[in-house]
Amino acid sequence: MTDPPAPTFEARLVQARDISVRLKRAIGRVIVGQDAVVEQVLWGLIAGGHVLLEGNPGLGKTLLVRTLSSCLDLRFSRIQFTPDLMPSDVTGTNVLVMDGSSQGTKGRFELHRGPIFGQVVLADEINRATPKTQSALLEAMQEHAVTIAGTRHALEEPFFVLATENPIEMEGTYPLPEAQLDRFLLKISVPAPSEDELTEILARTTGKPVGEPERVLSRDDVRELQALCREVAVAEPVLRYAARLVNASAPDAADAPDLVRRAVRYGAGVRGAQSLVLAAKAVALLEGRAHVSFADLQRTAAPVLRHRILLSFEGEADGVSCDQIVRELLSGVLTRPVAVERAVQGV
Amino acid sequence: MADPAQSDFQRAFHSLAQRVHRRHAGRLALTGAGVGLSLGALAALGLWALRLGEWRPFAAGFGALGALIGASVASRRRWSESDLALYLDARLGSHETLTTALAARGSEEPALVHVLERASSVLDSADPKRVKPKLWLRVHALLPAALSAIVVVSVLPLPPAPPPAPVAPGAERVQIENLKGLERIEALGQLQGQNPEQDERLKRLAEQAKKLRVALAKGLEKREALSEIAKLRDGIAAERLKLGDRQNRPGLDAALRAFSNNQALHDAQKALSNGDLTAFDDEMQKLANRAESTDRQAAKDALEEAAKEARAKGGKGLADALDAQKRLFERRESHAQALRELAQSLKGKLSAEALEDLKEFGNSGSPEAEKRLAEGLERALEGLTPEERKRLAERMQRELESNAGNASPMTKKQLEEMAKQLGRKEGIDQLKKQLRELAKPEPSDDAKRERGLDDAERGGSAAERGLGGMPIPLDGPNAPGSSDPGGKPQSGDADKGSSPGPGSKRDSGTGDHHGSTPEIAAKELRSKADARLSPGAPMHGATLGRAPARPGETANQLGTGSLGEAQKTEVGAVDHADIPEEYREQVGRYFEP
Repeated sequence: MTDPPAPTFEARLVQARDISVRLKRAIGRVIVGQDAVVEQVLWGLIAGGHVLLEGNPGLGKTLLVRTLSSCLDLRFSRIQFTPDLMPSDVTGTNVLVMDGSSQGTKGRFELHRGPIFGQVVLADEINRATPKTQSALLEAMQEHAVTIAGTRHALEEPFFVLATENPIEMEGTYPLPEAQLDRFLLKISVPAPSEDELTEILARTTGKPVGEPERVLSRDDVRELQALCREVAVAEPVLRYAARLVNASAPDAADAPDLVRRAVRYGAGVRGAQSLVLAAKAVALLEGRAHVSFADLQRTAAPVLRHRILLSFEGEADGVSCDQIVRELLSGVLTRPVAVERAVQGV
Repeated sequence: MADPAQSDFQRAFHSLAQRVHRRHAGRLALTGAGVGLSLGALAALGLWALRLGEWRPFAAGFGALGALIGASVASRRRWSESDLALYLDARLGSHETLTTALAARGSEEPALVHVLERASSVLDSADPKRVKPKLWLRVHALLPAALSAIVVVSVLPLPPAPPPAPVAPGAERVQIENLKGLERIEALGQLQGQNPEQDERLKRLAEQAKKLRVALAKGLEKREALSEIAKLRDGIAAERLKLGDRQNRPGLDAALRAFSNNQALHDAQKALSNGDLTAFDDEMQKLANRAESTDRQAAKDALEEAAKEARAKGGKGLADALDAQKRLFERRESHAQALRELAQSLKGKLSAEALEDLKEFGNSGSPEAEKRLAEGLERALEGLTPEERKRLAERMQRELESNAGNASPMTKKQLEEMAKQLGRKEGIDQLKKQLRELAKPEPSDDAKRERGLDDAERGGSAAERGLGGMPIPLDGPNAPGSSDPGGKPQSGDADKGSSPGPGSKRDSGTGDHHGSTPEIAAKELRSKADARLSPGAPMHGATLGRAPARPGETANQLGTGSLGEAQKTEVGAVDHADIPEEYREQVGRYFEP
């Protein structure tokens, strides 16, 4: 019996697009509105990165993650971060287990895996825990492995962390360290629902309970999507644009816009540029394209760069937001050479 | 498998690329032509303003040049394939499909192959009109505008010629074929100097005047010409005999004392004190002509003593001049004596007028009277019959014998010769000729030189006036503007220096004396003061030598007098000078050190 012929690249593209459409539809049955947030979460999933959702309490962040995990045939776990949460509560620990037998009582250490060993991990209100506990996530997010009592334990792929946080200005929050933030591919701002959306939410959530959403993606589908995402082509001028964009976010860069020079302390780094391209690939893939365009980079710039730009004291004092900085970068850095741009504009 | 897609993409891409390249080059050429024509229009305008009318149409060439430069720039800045792909992607909205496909050429990666296929289909469905770059830009509006401007400027009548720029002060050029006055300076070359060195200097002055005449004929800057004349005038002034300078002053004072003993020598003394050798020579001529032998002797003695005193005080130049004057005095004296003796011989034949002239000649010694007497004697000789001529010869012979050589050798010799000849008609003619020679004034060498220098100085003034300059009076007793020792105004011409001024009853001039000054519209005419100006020369030590200002030179130059080295007699000179009381204080303040 011969193996079925491998699907063509075009067929894979179509399938990926089809899956994404179905996934969005399934999530949409539970989550009202927040289309952009859902879309961006999918970018993270497909690109194989982790996502940080920021928004005020009660905006449906946790529900979104729970719904997503329901749609995926992946093991879901949740960590509710609190100030007294310990790192071992996240990673797990070895516990002594006593075996009763005829030869007498015998004890042994047995690994009790923490919630980090899930495939879709919801780190709820991550900024309520202390930095020490937050750091427990570092290895897992970067290496996809945890070390417990000197033993390294690989996490099962796909591994996807979805963290939520409250705005840092709120009481009882610990801002995430820069190294931790950099591990997140995207930082998605969850906006408040519009009046129509809120009305719909009220209608859905105050009546009969809604059933669980259907499972749309298997584990293999997710891995296939992530593999396909890596295959998406990027032209050299597009890569250069990404590099220029990221470089310009540093205040000491030659082509940094004035606002960046004034309001930014540190810009995005190499990981930021990698994340930008990966996210753009995910966008291209979700749109059924096998290559990245300038527009893909521009769409992903804000969620990719906003948590990687550290504002200066002057920037913070002036109330400059990182999204403003990103907008400034997008308007200041040219996609094409000047002569080509002028010809395109017809001047 | 990917080959057909690749070749399709290549073909379609290059086809569009060529189109884009051509349009791009055309656009740059048009831009260059527009800019070039604009510059050409400006150039044409400039040529119009400069009145270079015939060059204006060539300004359009700037347009062609600009187009060439534009095309050249287009070929140098030809877009790369990547730039072209970016441009086409932007125009076609193909999300950088073509740009990515460029890198996919030759690749067998499924994604890149897929992109290449997508790119081929994008190019196949592309509308060429949509992708071609815009050929005409706003800046190309310069083309017709600039071209029209060039045409308009080319046919526009040229502006009127600008008025000539005003000549900068002093930069005026003069061209005069024969400047009047210079010939008088050139005549200095004929003068005999006191010594060979002065001869040389006078010749050099004459030579410089000649050169200036030639330069003026060719054309010369006015201020330069004026400066040259001023230098000549300074040179002339420097050649004048200065009796009041440091060397001659003690001698002059001593000589003056020698003349102060006799009242008859007063005028001569005054002329000498003024340093006016010409006037002094005139006075000595008058004294030599006088009939009174005591006056003549006193004059000779005074000259001898003055020369001696001057030499003793170190005034060698003055002493030499006085010695020469004494020798001349004796010769003049003998001439006058000869005239008087001839007049005595012809006494019966002389007219009443001639007798009066004889009397005046003896009293005043006036050269005019001498001239008139000589003419009267000529007339008397013409009227002699042969018999009378014979008697005249005999009488003269007798007088010669009776005088037994008391007369001067010259006179005796002349008269002996005359007595021999008088018997014949030719002898009379010879006598008349000699009479005319006798009547001719015979000035001293110094007086001749001073007169020549005086004349040259007047020539310099005339030349300056001829150039429109304002002559500055220079030092000297006979310089323009100064008075002669006798208080008479100078006639203004050296040739007439010894003739009576207009208005004399015996004026032999041709001037019209019937003129009158116009009536003054005033009730009365009053003079402020009965001022009597000093007839003498400017006071010793006065600095008058000046030259017109020239860039880089000083306007004034140091005078040649003894400024700063005042003699005892000069202390309080203003108080002792003949200056009206009301001006004395002012003059004193002016000369205050």
